[in-house]
Amino acid sequence: MRNSFLRILVLALIISSLGVLSIYSSTYQKEGTPWQDIHKRQLLWLIIGLACFFMASQFNYRKLWDANYFIYGLALFFLFLVFVLGIIRLGAQRWLRFAWFNFQPSEFAKLAVIIFLARYFSRKSIDDISLLSGKFGIFRGIILPFIFVAVPMFLIIEQPDLGSGLMLLLVFVSLLYLTNVRLKYIFTLMIILLFPLPFFWHFLRDYQKQRLLVFLNPNIDPLGAGYTVIQSRIAIGSGGFWGRGWLSGTQSQLYFLPESHTDFIFATFSEQWGFLGSSLLLLLFFLIIREGFMIAQRTQDSFGRLLAYGISLLLALQVFINIAMNMGLAPVVGLPLPLMSYGGSSVLVTFIALGILVNIDRTRSVF
Amino acid sequence: MERKNILTFLIIAMFLSLFVALANLDLLQGDKFRRLSDSNCIRLIEQLGARGNILDRNAEIIVDNKISYDVLLLPQELDELDRILNGVSRILEVEAKDLKAAFRRNYFSSSIPVTIASNIDLKKAILLGEYKLDEPSIIIQPRPLRHYPYGSLASHVIGYVNEIDRWRLTKLEDYGYKTKDIVGFGGVEEKYDYYLRQEEGGLSVEVNHRGKFMRVLGFEPPRNGRDIQLTLDLKIQKIAEEALSDRKGSVILMDPQSGEILALANYPNFNPAVFVSKRTRLIAGLFNNPDSPLINRAISSSYPPASIFKIVVASAGLELKKINLFSSFLCRGSTMIGARRFSCWDVHGVQDIIAALAHSCDVFFYKTGLLVGSQNIHDYALRLGLAKSSGLELPYETSGFIPSPLWRKINKFQNWFDGDTANFSIGQGDCLISPLQAANMMAVFANGGYLPSPYIIKAVGALDLSAKKKKMLKVPFKKSTFEIISRGLRAVVSNPRGTGNYLSGLGIAVAGKTGTAQVSRGATHAWFAGFFPYEQPKYVICVFLENGGPGHAAVVIAKQIIEAMHKQALI
Repeated sequence: MRNSFLRILVLALIISSLGVLSIYSSTYQKEGTPWQDIHKRQLLWLIIGLACFFMASQFNYRKLWDANYFIYGLALFFLFLVFVLGIIRLGAQRWLRFAWFNFQPSEFAKLAVIIFLARYFSRKSIDDISLLSGKFGIFRGIILPFIFVAVPMFLIIEQPDLGSGLMLLLVFVSLLYLTNVRLKYIFTLMIILLFPLPFFWHFLRDYQKQRLLVFLNPNIDPLGAGYTVIQSRIAIGSGGFWGRGWLSGTQSQLYFLPESHTDFIFATFSEQWGFLGSSLLLLLFFLIIREGFMIAQRTQDSFGRLLAYGISLLLALQVFINIAMNMGLAPVVGLPLPLMSYGGSSVLVTFIALGILVNIDRTRSVF
Repeated sequence: MERKNILTFLIIAMFLSLFVALANLDLLQGDKFRRLSDSNCIRLIEQLGARGNILDRNAEIIVDNKISYDVLLLPQELDELDRILNGVSRILEVEAKDLKAAFRRNYFSSSIPVTIASNIDLKKAILLGEYKLDEPSIIIQPRPLRHYPYGSLASHVIGYVNEIDRWRLTKLEDYGYKTKDIVGFGGVEEKYDYYLRQEEGGLSVEVNHRGKFMRVLGFEPPRNGRDIQLTLDLKIQKIAEEALSDRKGSVILMDPQSGEILALANYPNFNPAVFVSKRTRLIAGLFNNPDSPLINRAISSSYPPASIFKIVVASAGLELKKINLFSSFLCRGSTMIGARRFSCWDVHGVQDIIAALAHSCDVFFYKTGLLVGSQNIHDYALRLGLAKSSGLELPYETSGFIPSPLWRKINKFQNWFDGDTANFSIGQGDCLISPLQAANMMAVFANGGYLPSPYIIKAVGALDLSAKKKKMLKVPFKKSTFEIISRGLRAVVSNPRGTGNYLSGLGIAVAGKTGTAQVSRGATHAWFAGFFPYEQPKYVICVFLENGGPGHAAVVIAKQIIEAMHKQALI
């Protein structure tokens, strides 16, 4: 259907243009060319992203079924590479340096895991072409796929990128819920996961522990870990109804808000455009996610449907957690706001994912 | 329900919760966050106005302000700070270490500029001003400081300025005073602080997250305080202080026709500049000095009036017709009152009222006093302005004290005897007056029957207050009473054996009365209160020396003053 293609394209373009505006506003005053050119780089990524979007929308998603082990393997390979050679940046080893850009494999891994899970749960019985997942026992329904998710998840959390790691887990649990796997298995998994949480506490880095504590009460450390949340809430709140106007937000313009062009871009945006602009942005995100869910619902092919659900869920969860974290409703974990935050890998992967969505909608009539 | 629908509802619920949270932050708490945002990036730099000047009657400056420069710095990151402090230390020729110590000492909060150096001279301030072009976080704040071109001259009239104390703050908070404000203490500075006081202005600037200056948002110019013009005449004031030099006591010169104070000098006095330069050792010295240099003796202390009080007794006697110009008493050097012998300071022989005033004969006044009665003496003293404060605009004026039999009965449970009346008649015993009251009383005889309300403020700002002053009070005595007493006062000087004869031969006819007050410990207090020129009185003078010896000592000083005034053609 050309309609969904156009709608998703327009929505994604609007959101990412707002992103470029916000990136510009929060960095144009900083000294040094790398900072001042950052919005141009984002624009370049956007163009490449659009190209990828067109390509992915033309590329038959069924081929991903076949390529799925390759993609999963590639993602693992990159993650492992980061694990081994990762360069330290921003206190985290999340990047692979290529010729002129940094590649963030965790972004790619999110998509790879979704493709893998979609294929895993949409295999059909040879006897009666019903979905196998309904007959899965606890091992094949939960444990085996969990292992496949846990390996990249572990590598990502180890980077350390708690946010993206947990994102994988959340997408996994919601996909499990969407397939026919029995509810009691899912609950068992949740309990098993929740039970050792206190032990995981000890494996968290100090700054991660601090962030979680600060989430409970930002004022325990107003100049340290709590600083970002406090400043971000001030930025959002000071926007009021109309906002302070583009390039006029003092929180982001005068750098009181850290990471104002990446993880906290929502606060930057909200300070300048106020309640009105932020509500509109929420609406735009909602519309694009709704588009994804609609595609999933009208797709007959179970692989395509699960894939569409997975992609939409990934988007929805990232948007929700990121914005909630901006407003101090979720702990600060490193998660970009899709399409808005600065970062080539995130833009690229999001556009590819949207392209796949469009392609699912286009190809579904074949079946 | 199908699982996918539940999931869809969950997603919608998530977005709705985000929306609600957004509304909460933006709409419900928006104002609070806007304030927080402003306090993040807006710094206020106060700009000080100058306190009003204090001028003499000819608009000559007694106190003004000198501008000194303070260097302040917006708090910011450490490495940035080091760099700036190094630059400042090169210009000020102060060690960067000291500046850093000052910064740490004065640091209060990240939102308040910190003083790193104060009182730098103009040349360095200009150099720093150039450096400020590169480092806009430096603030050079002109700070007008009280400047006293004549040092301690008229210090008790002026008072001094210092940081507000807790007691004053509680009283003045409602009028916009805050902690650390500089306010006046004593004298005009205290009484007229509200007018002299400057209004602060300020600069609001925007800083970034490192505290670095970004731009100026607004400016409100400071307003200077209002000038206050006094009735003091600087020339006469100087003459009075030079004559008093380092003898403990007071000198007051007053215009008997209007009540304007022309000079008011005290010793020991103080230099108000020590409060400006915060020389703690000297300030402590002022407070601990047993001679209390901060006390304005002329109006805040009261002493036995001694022979000066004889004017009161004479007026009462004449008014009540107990004596007249022709009554006389015989002075044999002493007289018996009851069982006790009251002596005179000399043997005067037959004395009428003129001679008695001229010689200050005690026996004459013992007898007159007994004829008049103590209650009448008390009443007439009150009519001449004693026992109540004169209403001068300076703070801490004493009302003095005049006893009466009733007071004695009530407060001391003692009877009043004739001996007490005798003592009272020569201004000893319990009665106390301030030098200002002595001058005021003398003014009544100088101007022929009007009790002035002395004043010292001529104008506040552009507003001339002399027209708004209280009218002089008519003293309801007979004309002859004033004439007779004036003649007596003139005889004090003109009579070759008069106690103030030292003042004759000045070329100016002076009239007045001396006094020698006996005190329980130490030398006597010396008084001289008078007026001149006798025919057309322009000046009332009161010289008082605390433990200064016989009245003659005060006459000597009065002579110096009148001589100097005559030489400078002020009379």
